Amino acid sequence: MHLQTQSSPHYPKRRNNDIVRTLPLMGTFVTLHVVACYGEARGQREAEEAVERAFGWFYTVEECCTRFDPNSELMQLTKHAGVPVPVSAILFEAVQFALAVAEESGGAFDPTVGRAMETRGFDRNYVTGSVIRTCVDSTTGVSYRDVRLDPDRRMITLLRPLVLDLGAVAKGLAVDLAARELQTFENFGINAGGDLYLAGSNPEGEPWSVGIRHPRRVDEVIDSLRISNRAVCTSGDYERRAANGRGGHHILDPRTGASANGAASVTVIAPNAMVADALATAAFIQGADGIQLLERYGVDGLVVSQELKCYATRGLYAYRS
Amino acid sequence: MDKSTLLLLAMVLAIFGGSVALGHPDWGTFTGLAIILLAGGLAAGSLPIRVRDFVEERAAPSQRVSNGLVTLSSAAIVAIYAAGYHRTSLAAHKFDLQGSQGRASAEVTAVVPPRPAPNPPSNASGAASQNAASAEKKPVPRPAGKATAPKSPAAGASAPTPSAGEDASASPETAAAPVNGETPSAHPAAATPRYKDGTFSGWGSCRHGDIEASVMIQGGKIASVVISQCLTRYSCNWIAPKNPDSGLPDLPAQVVQRQNTKVDYVSGATESSYAFADAVVAALSKATE
Repeated sequence: MHLQTQSSPHYPKRRNNDIVRTLPLMGTFVTLHVVACYGEARGQREAEEAVERAFGWFYTVEECCTRFDPNSELMQLTKHAGVPVPVSAILFEAVQFALAVAEESGGAFDPTVGRAMETRGFDRNYVTGSVIRTCVDSTTGVSYRDVRLDPDRRMITLLRPLVLDLGAVAKGLAVDLAARELQTFENFGINAGGDLYLAGSNPEGEPWSVGIRHPRRVDEVIDSLRISNRAVCTSGDYERRAANGRGGHHILDPRTGASANGAASVTVIAPNAMVADALATAAFIQGADGIQLLERYGVDGLVVSQELKCYATRGLYAYRS
Repeated sequence: MDKSTLLLLAMVLAIFGGSVALGHPDWGTFTGLAIILLAGGLAAGSLPIRVRDFVEERAAPSQRVSNGLVTLSSAAIVAIYAAGYHRTSLAAHKFDLQGSQGRASAEVTAVVPPRPAPNPPSNASGAASQNAASAEKKPVPRPAGKATAPKSPAAGASAPTPSAGEDASASPETAAAPVNGETPSAHPAAATPRYKDGTFSGWGSCRHGDIEASVMIQGGKIASVVISQCLTRYSCNWIAPKNPDSGLPDLPAQVVQRQNTKVDYVSGATESSYAFADAVVAALSKATE
């Protein structure tokens, strides 16, 4: 997944007071950018603290939802298949949302592909490089229907042994929580390796400019958008190739267990990053039908097919710069 | 019937009603108005049907589904945010900082008047730490599990006096004795307790309800903590078990034991634990005012 925010090289003076920080988190680089404003009563220090807290959400979400740490809450859940497990608010809400998207997309999006991801070679902790293997042997036949939720007691039950993969939800969730933490600032941008949330305007006082990467040619942009107060996410087949050398990328079709190959990349614009990320993944798996999926969900987006044809939703023109 | 015909009929009726009302002033006013009302009803009836048709054709299905997802995700974000992982930890952290700042300043001033040095600094580090430990025990029988306890052996190893200083800051009544008369400037700093004595209460809330914690401060330290009001949907037994053998963590006891607000978060009662921590932070902030 890759997207780049592009701004013109000449910034006005107030750029100096902007806070821009980047940290390696969630297997990618997370950049927070708070634009300083003229006449802003609050000081630099307050903005820095808010950025600190926003990064804190990324840590917290990663700690809880990662598949690559056997001690994470998510993996602890896997060890207790068959019994209701009380979980934290973050894990519960993330799973609940993932299941809702699975339901809505008829299984095109499915958080239970975790084990299939492991067997396809996506099993390495990006920090330590250690390999994560779970002792779950049912690779096939599990689906989102094997997960039960109890909202009142906030418990999750896995009816069968399975590994949840919240990769398409957790990052969006962290971006949204960070955005919520920064919401007292009018203008800011969050970029978590292609999951963007852009509020207000860029340092030049214009809507943020977002370039959508060309899926085949590095450093080239296939389309350019103007975004304000929206999340933008792109799912592409070019970012994470499987480590086991058998080819294939990181988005698996839950119905076949193999890498989905309908589209080269899908970009979705939505009110928040959780929705954008999940729908980008779902539309990517659907391939050519992805654009109908986006239309049906009332969000805008762009599907680039394997043949590099661009399909846009009807509302996308409003975002073109 | 076609909607445009319906609308046309309504307009014709309205004109007819108007002419009746105007043409027959003696009896036609009410009749005319009634006809106009009927026309209005017809027109109003035809319009919403048209709007509904339009919406259904164009946007309804996608809008509905999308709103569902957006609403769900927004609710999720609000729920997690309200759970306040950071609000609590940040508040607790800030509070700790304040506490440690107070402690640090007390340390610096208290180092100046050393006790009639029972242990020379040239001691071997092991002996020194032992000395420090014995020195700690001397002044007052303190409750176990003091927050700064892990620090004192290290401090004692480098020089015995700082640990004595820490002691002084933690228990002011013992600190007052050696400090008196030696350096008056050190007296107010060392004598200022971390918290004011008394009983303070504060509220914390989560989406399950509110919790009021009452904190009793004695000798500048947290002597006891109780949940004075539990207005959550679930019993506060989950975080403050009445039966000590239940195996559940006792958060009020943790606050007393650790002398800070860093309590364990109870799985299954996470939000209540946050609310409780918030309540204690609120209560302790009153104790430092």
